[in-house]
Amino acid sequence: MTGYVFRRALQAAAVLLAITAAAFGLFYAAPSDPALIACGPKCDTAQVEAVRHSMGLDQPLVTQYTDYLRGLVAGRTIADVDGSSIDCAAPCLGYSYTLHQPVLDAIGDRFPVTLSLAAGALVVIGVLGVGVGFLAALRRGTLTDRLLSGFTLVGASVQIYFLGYALQYLLVYASDLFPLPGYSPLGDGPGAWAAGLLLPWLVLGFVNAAVFARLARAQMLETMHEGYVRTARGKGLGVLRAHLKYTARGAAAPLVQLLGLEAGALFGGAFITETVFGLGGVGKLAVDAVVQNDLPTVVGTVLLAAFFVVVFVAVADLVVAWLDPRVRLA
Amino acid sequence: MAEEHSGRPSGPVSRGPFVTAVRAFRRDRTGMAALAVVLLCAVLALAAPLIAALYGKDATEHYGQNTPGLLSPEGLPVLPGGGISADHWFGIEPGLGRDVLAQLLYGMRTSLLVALASVAVIAVVGIVLGVTVGYLSGIADRAFTFVCNVLLAFPTLLLLLALGPVVETRFVDPGENEPVWMQFTVLILVFAAFGWVPLAMVLRTAVRSLREREFIEAARALGASRRHIVFRELLPNVWAPVLVHITLAVPGIVTAEAALSFLGVGIDEPVPDWGRMISRGSEVFYDDPTYMVFPGVAILVFVLAFNLLGDAVRDALDPRTAR
Repeated sequence: MTGYVFRRALQAAAVLLAITAAAFGLFYAAPSDPALIACGPKCDTAQVEAVRHSMGLDQPLVTQYTDYLRGLVAGRTIADVDGSSIDCAAPCLGYSYTLHQPVLDAIGDRFPVTLSLAAGALVVIGVLGVGVGFLAALRRGTLTDRLLSGFTLVGASVQIYFLGYALQYLLVYASDLFPLPGYSPLGDGPGAWAAGLLLPWLVLGFVNAAVFARLARAQMLETMHEGYVRTARGKGLGVLRAHLKYTARGAAAPLVQLLGLEAGALFGGAFITETVFGLGGVGKLAVDAVVQNDLPTVVGTVLLAAFFVVVFVAVADLVVAWLDPRVRLA
Repeated sequence: MAEEHSGRPSGPVSRGPFVTAVRAFRRDRTGMAALAVVLLCAVLALAAPLIAALYGKDATEHYGQNTPGLLSPEGLPVLPGGGISADHWFGIEPGLGRDVLAQLLYGMRTSLLVALASVAVIAVVGIVLGVTVGYLSGIADRAFTFVCNVLLAFPTLLLLLALGPVVETRFVDPGENEPVWMQFTVLILVFAAFGWVPLAMVLRTAVRSLREREFIEAARALGASRRHIVFRELLPNVWAPVLVHITLAVPGIVTAEAALSFLGVGIDEPVPDWGRMISRGSEVFYDDPTYMVFPGVAILVFVLAFNLLGDAVRDALDPRTAR
């Protein structure tokens, strides 16, 4: 197992390195003018040149990239447009000229929102997704199964930007059944925190749980008829215990992997959910950065999101290897 | 099919896998209904100019501004239900006063064009790469897996968001508008650049198990070229996963395209677009909820039909459930 963990970690690190190079290449090395984009249309030539120098764009490409990597690992000093220097501690993701702060600080300010949203949504995804999927599989062909499957199919087809507004209108604006969505820090009291995030959790969780439940149902059905489950049943194990002990474990691998991917994607920022509910998280930061052409922030948020995906997918793979010894040998 | 050369006795009882799948599909009532809805959408999108002409409305004309009495001074439709009337069946857009039904019809063209073109590119790239790499293995396989891992880790939606402006500044002079065909091309290419990965990975796995089978070995023993084996022997045996994948890829791209427009980076005005309609609807949602309901429900029905169709195709092609 140690060998497998080591190999998997190495692989994840290689993928991350390739992603920094690809992101860097796409946004900085593309033959557009990042300095002009970063500075904005109101800048005169001298200001654009100052930004160009500050971003290191007058350096050779390889130097720019190694500088960026060094900043990520060890931190670096960035020259501001007016000539003063900005200290950017590791992991330095660059400096946002639009927000006038290091990209990492901008992300750090908003990360609690994204983290709160993702954590709650993951709970909904796990409970609702696995629960509905397993229940539908156990009751295969019955009315329960058909109702649950229809429910998940609608969930997998409905869009957050429609469902989110519709529920806000019906449950908050028209009927006051739910508290107004918004973010208040957990430190200010868990009640207000949970109340503000309740609807976003349910919407984001439901839409993703639907996809999850469909996979869970299919996996369960496939595993249920495996020889070892039948053997366990034949030896006198009860239905529920046999399915929980053997079927669930056998069906878990793709589910764990999907959950890892979901978790990675959610921690990188839920762009649409944050926009719909007006939550100022990392996703909103990224969307605003794109709209305002704030290139360092765009690259920073892309890297952060990729980082979470790589890490969570690797963790999911380790969990799968722990669940299923055959994986380790492959 | 290549497999039929492997000496399997063929009699009147044995039907080809394609015929079997079609029969299974025709027995699936949900699948047939979904197919009907999908075909209806396709016909509506194709015939949008004709229908708009019969209906007597244009997708870009500002009826609400040109005809007094349709919009209030705040730009909201005067008539209830978002301005629904005998003239404008689904109401009019707040602010500009365009006809909602005409916009929906033309918006479907936008969605379908982007989705179908992207899926076509995805299918070609995914099939060629997946089948070839699955057959080759070795260093090509390792490189392929690595590239796939990198592409899968990228936050696709964010990258789609971010790449549009980068491409635009590269190819369009400042102060000029990006031509419509270029917006479509960029969107399609970016969708395709990330969309081929899952298909190629599925095909790689399928081909890896196929290449050890006797009929491939036989072809190799007969001295068939690598090209012949990949395109003539392997390819005809993997159309089932390809069909399932592309049916389910279409709704994915439709929603991603709408999401981009919703977030403010997609096809620009005045090309009608469902995502942009929802985005505009969200601005006036509490005063005029109807404007958002129509595109929202349209996307839901469209995506639901495609998902049901994809499920039905998969069930029909799966030998364990088909018979």
